[in-house]
Amino acid sequence: MDMKRDYYEDIQLFSSGVVIFWFVAMMVFLAVVPFIFKNYYIYVINFMAINVIVVLGLNLLVGYTGLISLGHAGFFAIGAYGTVVLITQAHLPFLLALLVAGLIAAIFGFLLGLPALRLEGPYLAIATLGFGVTVTQVIGKIKILGERQGLHAPDLIIGPWHFDTDKDFYFLLIPIAIILAFAARNITKTKVGRAFISIRDAEIAAETMGVNLTFYKTLAFALSAFYAGIGGGLYAFVLRFIEPELFSLSLSIMFLTMAVVGGLGSMMGPIAGACLLSWLDLQLRNILDIPYLGEWLRSLSQSYFSLTGVSNIQYIVFGGILLFIMLFEPLGIFGIWIRTKKYWKTWPF
Amino acid sequence: MKKKSLSIAAIMFLLVFGLALNGSAEQGVTDTEIHIGQWSPQTGPAAPWGAVARGTDAYFKMINAEGGIHGRKIIHHYFDDGYNPAKTVAGVKQLQEDVGMFGWVSGVGTACGLAVKDYLMGRKIPWVGPSSGSSHWVDPPQKYLFNDYPLYSGDAQILVKVAAEKLGLKRIAITYQNDDYGKLGLAGARKQAAKEGLSLVAEIPMNVADTDMAPFVMELKKANADSVLMFIGVGQVARLIGTGKAMKFDPRWMTTTTCADAPLMIAITKGLFAGTIVANFGLFEPQVVGIGNTEDVNNPSHPVVKKYYEDAFKKFAAKEERWGLTFVAGMAYAEPMLEGLKRAGRDLTREKFVAAMETIKDFKGSMGRVSYGSFDPNDPHCRVGQTEIFASEVTADGKYKVLMDWTEMPYVKID
Repeated sequence: MDMKRDYYEDIQLFSSGVVIFWFVAMMVFLAVVPFIFKNYYIYVINFMAINVIVVLGLNLLVGYTGLISLGHAGFFAIGAYGTVVLITQAHLPFLLALLVAGLIAAIFGFLLGLPALRLEGPYLAIATLGFGVTVTQVIGKIKILGERQGLHAPDLIIGPWHFDTDKDFYFLLIPIAIILAFAARNITKTKVGRAFISIRDAEIAAETMGVNLTFYKTLAFALSAFYAGIGGGLYAFVLRFIEPELFSLSLSIMFLTMAVVGGLGSMMGPIAGACLLSWLDLQLRNILDIPYLGEWLRSLSQSYFSLTGVSNIQYIVFGGILLFIMLFEPLGIFGIWIRTKKYWKTWPF
Repeated sequence: MKKKSLSIAAIMFLLVFGLALNGSAEQGVTDTEIHIGQWSPQTGPAAPWGAVARGTDAYFKMINAEGGIHGRKIIHHYFDDGYNPAKTVAGVKQLQEDVGMFGWVSGVGTACGLAVKDYLMGRKIPWVGPSSGSSHWVDPPQKYLFNDYPLYSGDAQILVKVAAEKLGLKRIAITYQNDDYGKLGLAGARKQAAKEGLSLVAEIPMNVADTDMAPFVMELKKANADSVLMFIGVGQVARLIGTGKAMKFDPRWMTTTTCADAPLMIAITKGLFAGTIVANFGLFEPQVVGIGNTEDVNNPSHPVVKKYYEDAFKKFAAKEERWGLTFVAGMAYAEPMLEGLKRAGRDLTREKFVAAMETIKDFKGSMGRVSYGSFDPNDPHCRVGQTEIFASEVTADGKYKVLMDWTEMPYVKID
């Protein structure tokens, strides 16, 4: 059905006219979003875009190369602190500071990739977890990074534009997210991407075929960390204030969950996973405002799940949704999409 | 045709008139309601602090039951942010833009508050009583932000004063969290120690994540400290005292308002918290109890707190709710806001509210006296609010023995 007949068909950006149509429709929608939705929803979309950037990078590592990371909050923190400090201390312009902070995160990614040469599975997970925890501890000790007191992000100015409102940030974040999404997609279609996939599928076979494991494994970590660093740099300005506690282990787990729930080893999956989980994370508490259902859930929570009479049902629903997706579709949201597409293409058979 | 035009005109008239009747010049204020927002963690590791919002909620319900403010009921919207600033921003923006808050009260957590500070101040939305003792709220001061939480420099000052003047202790040490909370304490301790002609014998920073207290106890022992100020988390206080006991180091322990919930601390330290000196900013009234006498939190002597216990806690709190310092603090932080709303009058606008808040001088609710002044961007004192603290010793049965009455302790800037 999706069989590619030659190499050029495989690497083309848009596989059919239908894809081009939906892409254009998506671009038009994104262009008008800030003029339709309230400011609050723009903030939620900005938050989604940041997570999309990080999860796209994580997907290159986990989904395409088959390596795991529970330390991406560390790279995210390096990007956030790096961008703020490069602007306030080195007086770099924002875009350059963001890029340099991303590269610094990539260097740390490369360094973390070195132990990945000898470790795999749960052992690599523990090593990356240690990195994530260490980063926040070290930041908390460095005066120029605000120690435990945190740092304020300065005003975001690019040339004549002063980015102040959520709408302003939207017009900065969305293009960056789109560019990085295209970049990630292109990487997977190049020699580098194929090397990643070969390492994931059969490491020994890949090495036998001449794939340099040292180079490509560390490159996967560096690229993935670069994406996380860029995401972190943008996050610092959307939130306006950063402190070490923000970049906790649970954030690393959340990034990984977004990638897995979306569907590893695809492009649309992690984007969908990041959007869905970001939205649920910020919006699920509104479930209690749904007429009748909200009241019922509230009383259920207060009767059985909460000691203080305050509802916590949104977390139970959140966990339930994750369980449901993983239980019925191990390939994540992308798997659901593939099945739906196949159903319509072969309908009525 | 004429009939149709008349109908349209009538509908237009009703719409406009209806809006005029229902509406108000200010966001979050209607003829019958004032909408106030608040965030707090109801879930996650900081969930114990969620009692602050539940306390505020019971307090506003009590006020509404008594007739509200100038004929308006307070509609209190509070949400769970799980102590996650990204969620705080989302919740604040949603409530502000979808429902429309007149102002915000309390709000747990320094990082959570800082994430929304610029948003609220940029829109000139009043915010009263952030529930964390951070210098960020007052230094530099913001016109629409009124602090009332006692800043931790005051806690440190009264503890050093009690140690030096009441207990005759001269070798005072401090362990402090390596953040705004701890550093404010360190600044206050240094200042008061200098006043007493002393210098701190040890200044030991601690990270939030530190759990092994043995190295810290070793350092304190090495410094031969006879009293130790603890500007650290509740769990760390319990562990430090426990480790000290195990290592046969038994100084006079002292801690802040944050760790001053005596029944709770006695329970989690299995009694080791007894004898600890704590800084207090409310819950009972030292002037009524008298120096040297003890106070039971479940039978408060403070007339205002007693009323809260009867009229707010018993009537409006959930049956599983615990009457304790955090719950009462939620009521206390909202008191100056309520006073400001009363003073602003029936014709309520944000500007009138701010002007009314600035007239508050020596206001006495359940905390120490609260005062504000005309806005001066160079003077934090115009927005500090409360600077009075008193001190007590925790007894073995979780009560408080008063050691020092309300004492004025001015704000000290972090070095």
